[in-house]
Amino acid sequence: MANDREVLREIWDGKLPICFQLAQEEIMEIQQPDPFYVMVPRLSYFPLVTDKMKRHFLRFISQENSDSEMWLDYNGQPLKWHYPIGFLYDLYCGNDSQLPWNLTVHFTKFPEDILLHCPNKDVVEAHYMSTVKEADVLKHRGQVMSTMQKKDHNQLWLGLQNDKFDQFWAINRRLMESHGDNEGFKHIPVKMYSDDGICHQRLVIPKNSDGTRKTLQQMILELYPDKPDLNLRTHGIVIPPETPLQWLSEHLSYPDNFLHLCLC
Amino acid sequence: MSSNSLLFSINNEGKVYALPTSGSCWREFMYLGLEFKTLSAIPHFLWAVGGDRQIYLHVHGLEIPIRVKEESYENERWLPLEGFSGRLLPTDRYHFSSLDGTKDRSIDRIRLPSMAWQWEGDWQLELTLDGQPLDHDGWSYAVDFPAQFGPTKQWKSCVRRRKWIRYRKFSAMNSWCAIAPLHKDPTQEPFIDVSIGGNQMPYASPGTLSVWAITAHGRVMYRTGVSTTSPEGQKWINISTPPNCDIKQISVGPTGLVWALLWTGRVIIRKGITKDTLTGEAWLEVKSPNDAKLVSISIGYNAAWAVSSDTRVWFRKGIEGINAGNSEVAATGTGWLEITGNMVQVSVGINDQVFAIGESDKCIYWRSGITPAELTGKRWRMIQANMQLSRTSSSASVVSSASNVKHHSLTTLSETTTEKKSNINLHHSWEESHSAPSEHTLPVKSTRESRSKANKTTENIDFTGKSYETTLKNPRAWSPVRSVGSVVGMEAQPDSDSSVFDVDSGMFFDDEVSQTAWGTCDTTWAFVQAGACSVDIMQPPHWFSDSHNVYNTDITTKWRISILENLKNRNNNKDLNLEHYGLAVEEKGWTRSCEARLINTNNSGEECILSLYWHDLENIGTLSVFQPDGTIKFILNLGEVTSVFSLSEPGCPRIALCVPRQNESSIKIQFISEMEQEEWLSVLVDITSQINGVTGRASSNSVWAVTSSGDVLNWDSLPSKLNNGAYTKEFQVFGKSIVTGFSTHLNNNFPPGSTIMLTGSLFDEIRRFYINLQGPEVKKQRHKIETEITDIPFHFNVRFDENAVVCNSMIFGSWGSEERHDLPIAPGQEFSIKIICDVQVFRIFVNDKLYCLYEHRLNPENITSIVVQGPLKLYTMEYSTTSVIIGADEMYWRMMGGYLRRVESCQNGVVWGISHDHRVWVYTGGWGGGILKGLGSKDGIHSMTDTQTYCIYENQRWNPLSGYTSTGLPTDRYMWSDITGKHKRTREHTKLLSHHWHWISEWMIDYNTPGGVDSDGWQYATDFPAPYHGKKLFTDCVRRRRWYRKAQINTEGPWVRAGSTALIDIALWSNGEDVSVWAITLAGDAIYRTGVTTATPTGLQWEHVNSPVSLIAVSTCNDVVWAVGRKGEIYYREDVSKEKPGGSNWRLIKAPKCNYPYSHKSIGAKGVSLNQRSAWVLLANSCIAVRSHVKKEQLDGKEWKYMTDCDMTFKHVSCMENDVWAVCADGSLQRRLGVTAENQVGSSWQRVLFGAIAHVSSRGSSME
Repeated sequence: MANDREVLREIWDGKLPICFQLAQEEIMEIQQPDPFYVMVPRLSYFPLVTDKMKRHFLRFISQENSDSEMWLDYNGQPLKWHYPIGFLYDLYCGNDSQLPWNLTVHFTKFPEDILLHCPNKDVVEAHYMSTVKEADVLKHRGQVMSTMQKKDHNQLWLGLQNDKFDQFWAINRRLMESHGDNEGFKHIPVKMYSDDGICHQRLVIPKNSDGTRKTLQQMILELYPDKPDLNLRTHGIVIPPETPLQWLSEHLSYPDNFLHLCLC
Repeated sequence: MSSNSLLFSINNEGKVYALPTSGSCWREFMYLGLEFKTLSAIPHFLWAVGGDRQIYLHVHGLEIPIRVKEESYENERWLPLEGFSGRLLPTDRYHFSSLDGTKDRSIDRIRLPSMAWQWEGDWQLELTLDGQPLDHDGWSYAVDFPAQFGPTKQWKSCVRRRKWIRYRKFSAMNSWCAIAPLHKDPTQEPFIDVSIGGNQMPYASPGTLSVWAITAHGRVMYRTGVSTTSPEGQKWINISTPPNCDIKQISVGPTGLVWALLWTGRVIIRKGITKDTLTGEAWLEVKSPNDAKLVSISIGYNAAWAVSSDTRVWFRKGIEGINAGNSEVAATGTGWLEITGNMVQVSVGINDQVFAIGESDKCIYWRSGITPAELTGKRWRMIQANMQLSRTSSSASVVSSASNVKHHSLTTLSETTTEKKSNINLHHSWEESHSAPSEHTLPVKSTRESRSKANKTTENIDFTGKSYETTLKNPRAWSPVRSVGSVVGMEAQPDSDSSVFDVDSGMFFDDEVSQTAWGTCDTTWAFVQAGACSVDIMQPPHWFSDSHNVYNTDITTKWRISILENLKNRNNNKDLNLEHYGLAVEEKGWTRSCEARLINTNNSGEECILSLYWHDLENIGTLSVFQPDGTIKFILNLGEVTSVFSLSEPGCPRIALCVPRQNESSIKIQFISEMEQEEWLSVLVDITSQINGVTGRASSNSVWAVTSSGDVLNWDSLPSKLNNGAYTKEFQVFGKSIVTGFSTHLNNNFPPGSTIMLTGSLFDEIRRFYINLQGPEVKKQRHKIETEITDIPFHFNVRFDENAVVCNSMIFGSWGSEERHDLPIAPGQEFSIKIICDVQVFRIFVNDKLYCLYEHRLNPENITSIVVQGPLKLYTMEYSTTSVIIGADEMYWRMMGGYLRRVESCQNGVVWGISHDHRVWVYTGGWGGGILKGLGSKDGIHSMTDTQTYCIYENQRWNPLSGYTSTGLPTDRYMWSDITGKHKRTREHTKLLSHHWHWISEWMIDYNTPGGVDSDGWQYATDFPAPYHGKKLFTDCVRRRRWYRKAQINTEGPWVRAGSTALIDIALWSNGEDVSVWAITLAGDAIYRTGVTTATPTGLQWEHVNSPVSLIAVSTCNDVVWAVGRKGEIYYREDVSKEKPGGSNWRLIKAPKCNYPYSHKSIGAKGVSLNQRSAWVLLANSCIAVRSHVKKEQLDGKEWKYMTDCDMTFKHVSCMENDVWAVCADGSLQRRLGVTAENQVGSSWQRVLFGAIAHVSSRGSSME
């Protein structure tokens, strides 16, 4: 059970300072728009936090583009909205962190081949809920999610959307419980990413064959036998290799219930 | 969770251990130097077969003694020459008789049933009759015997009688008590098994118990007369068994169902056991599972479990406890099911929970997951509780005491005691209470009794209930085995030993303190007995190690500290200035909406859409109610809501909102589902509490109330603005129409020190205006009832037409002499007027200049409101007094959580509650739980249960052809109805209030309906609204019977159980840190609690106070204790003091008169509440009378005063200092205004909450 409230709270309160700038080619006014500075929760998704920013830039772009979908890039790399913001930062700036994170805002030339469309927040919700479900299948064969009511799902989502820790954890707590006689999940929902953003997902069991808790180190040895000194980064920190996986999954998972770990 | 819930077991050394469900440590049961073979338990009663093959009884955990009142009526007849004499006519009743005269009750022949009983005092006369005092000899008189007796002797009184009473007490509490053997030589026919059950026998009268035993000769014995008031019963009777049936083990279920196990491994059951035939009718055989030989059986309510010789476990399906007496199938079940696991012995406990001993490890397992729906459970869980390091398990001490099993002479007893004292430090202090018994601890017999014994020869020892006389011949050589119902060995100290089993102070509840003396040692268990063990499957006890939390150790690991450290340092970049960064997700207000129905006063619904808006930074919220088409119906400012509570009816989940500033009555909203209702309730309580700034623990001086749906409300009197030592309140007057008159309550009245300040401007056209400081409205009965103001202590009338200001007072409806002054102001001008009340005079300032003085003609404390009328505009009106001003519309009543019937508080913050099933709860200081979720924190929130009984009536009418049938006349009531007959009720359609409730019984016929019933539960009457009686008479045309079904609620709240005694009323009074707690038990006894302080709010134990009659209500303040008897009489307790908290005697108080005009009949009381100087008494006619000048020097007060200002009727009243609160018969909450030391009755009632309140306690109110 995820009961280390201090860590949970710290993870929840993690925020990134971001400086949004409108792409030069979008600017239709003589006056240059001011950059938009904002503190963004690491656990959130871009479509949930960019409403104000969008309004800020709208009056500087040509009217015909005002209804087109906005997208972001970092150093020419389009940012996928369906990943948590904190993870995107770890992926692209994890090694040489620079704050604030300078992102460029676009309204035209949507990179259809790289990004999914996100017409509204319902799409984010649908994506989010399906990821939570996937994680629950790995953890409890999907039993927890399926016994929850619609309103619980709603509360989970609203908690994330409105940055309400207690509201969110009141429900997420149940997803983080381990069932059955043995302590621990069936499998740990974990996604690992190399520098190029390619995701590796493997079935990882939280226990060793002798019943002891599997550590991060042991998982790395299992998955990458050739790279024993690999480091894994998430939430802006490098995880100590002796951390048990079960604990890690319970406390350091993103709200979608996955551990998003960046190899470095 | 019952604190008396214990799991008993015997280890392989024959020692008895107990494991409380509220603890996690096995504790050794008091050791007698006697091993035990087998045990059988129900709560409080434990029967066992000892190593000497005799039967022992242990009664424990009862907080008040088992007391039985023996009564005898002495009858006398008037004879012409001798006057009244004990010589009666031959046709008359006995000289000493029972109440109806049919039995001889000579008081010298009424003896103790056994040595386990002691008399409490000698025979006494009862000196009251229905609350009326009798003369010193206690005689009451009548014309002839079967007649109405009256207190006074009249010329026609031919007979008289008086009542002798004497109490006996079961003194063998908390100690082993031997049950006499069957024969003089106990070895002749020893016992091999015993079993107790029958405590939930369907329809049986409360207290019925059933005890069966097996002798070594294979005979089945039934113990007659066992009940909770006669724990040891009377005698054994033999129940014959079929031939070739050698019985090895017997098991009695809670319904009285008996299963017996034969040596051959077969099972026979006793059929036909009902409340009328407790011993059943005949034996039936039950087929054993295929090729399995059973070795252990245990019977539950709806289940039977068995273990076969190959250690397989079997469950018998199809048993229905409620019908077991009438149906063979319900008693035998329908088939065996094999359950996984290998066990050697099995025991079924309360709620059919199952415990067993494992085959290989001899550990005790609990079958988890057993619910009424799934009686076979899910899996076995091993109980791993710590063990008391046994002080007697060394073989040496076993030998030393085992040699003395049968004859504990007094000398050996003292030896063993000192031996045990040597290791007292290791263990518990309860050994200290053991000292060697001395002779006088044996029941002391009066000379009269011993004389009668000498005359009497010993009766047949087989009927052992009365044979204790044998021991008297040589009391020094008494043996535990010989002395029937006597106390074994050193435990013969009922008084000093009470702490051993006291649930609150004793051995079972200080786990933390004594952890050092415990260890986990591997014990092999031989026997487990769960009959007294009540496991809450939602919250299993902390007995199991397979769920313990491994993560606690993670807190200090290096990796965790490193992670936390790194997380905290993520944004600690020095050159990053985060100030100009906005927040992406703003703390904005949120809304919530749903469809619901608005309930009108006539209970009809109206579709609406609710929308809640709440901004937590600005602390504002609104609740908008829209019509379905989207138009606004009304919008409530949540700051004006003074209370939110549930008001559900079955199938109609509702909440009520009180908004006194907007609405006279409360706003009722019905939701589509219970879930929605609970969510909205919880959210609204949360928001309104935040707006009103109350959270967490209720303060000591707050007022508590309970709604009719069991919600607990609390009002914290937070002080309002304090200005120069005075509390000030501004009234909203701007824009109010003054022309037609504006009036407002002055909540604290207008005592000296009060000020009222008005500013405003006059119209150009103005002839007159006035300001009245007036008294309460008084009801007048002329040709119709109307109210009017009869007292106006100060009338300030500015008359521009007369060029003068007139000051005057109205006293009893007539004006006094005017005092005139010159005009200080002119029309069209702005003005300010300030009225200051001094001790002698009102000082009036106009435009900040002293304008005039006006001497008091009436007591200004009686001023309850101000009226301003005239053509003018008011800007401000400010009212300040020396004490806190809180109007009814500002009292925010916060739902505290929990489900109770009544709550009583006192001034230092100790709060007790009573639930509907009469159990007692103590406030833990938390807030929330249940449907409120964890509003505050989870601190102090415990699980709670409560049980309520649903009753419906089956009505029938007699007709000449078919007898009684359920076809009534067209004018009759419904054939299935509630008690009034006006509402149709059927068994099938009776619904539970919410999903937190569940049925715990089936519909059953109530054989204890008041008025008496026949053998089928019917009671008869001549016609429907008529008195019912239990015997069918010739004139009876209708009959009815009552069905009942019990339901239980599972919830949570900031309450914890205190003690196990069932109470009907409780009173608290705080004396500094200490609290004196008096209570009335369900049986009508008065008790008081020792050791209640703010640090230990649950106290230590109850002390019993003898009372001549059964009581219903009690109150205490300042060491004055008043109580109300069942017949409405009022008593006070003499000599109550800190040193002598129980006082000495009850004394009768003169009954109050009926305050209906011109009636001088005295009337009984229903309830009482005492404050420092008066007693507020709720009368039988629901009016309130006040006994003035009740103080320590005058415990019964001076005189009765009655309320003249109202004809309201009340359900409850509670007072402390100057605060008096009452609950009206219509459920509204009222507060008495104007109560002062001089005017103890107060002046008027002010309505605080509208509707649905059941109980209030203002006993915490304090001036400071």
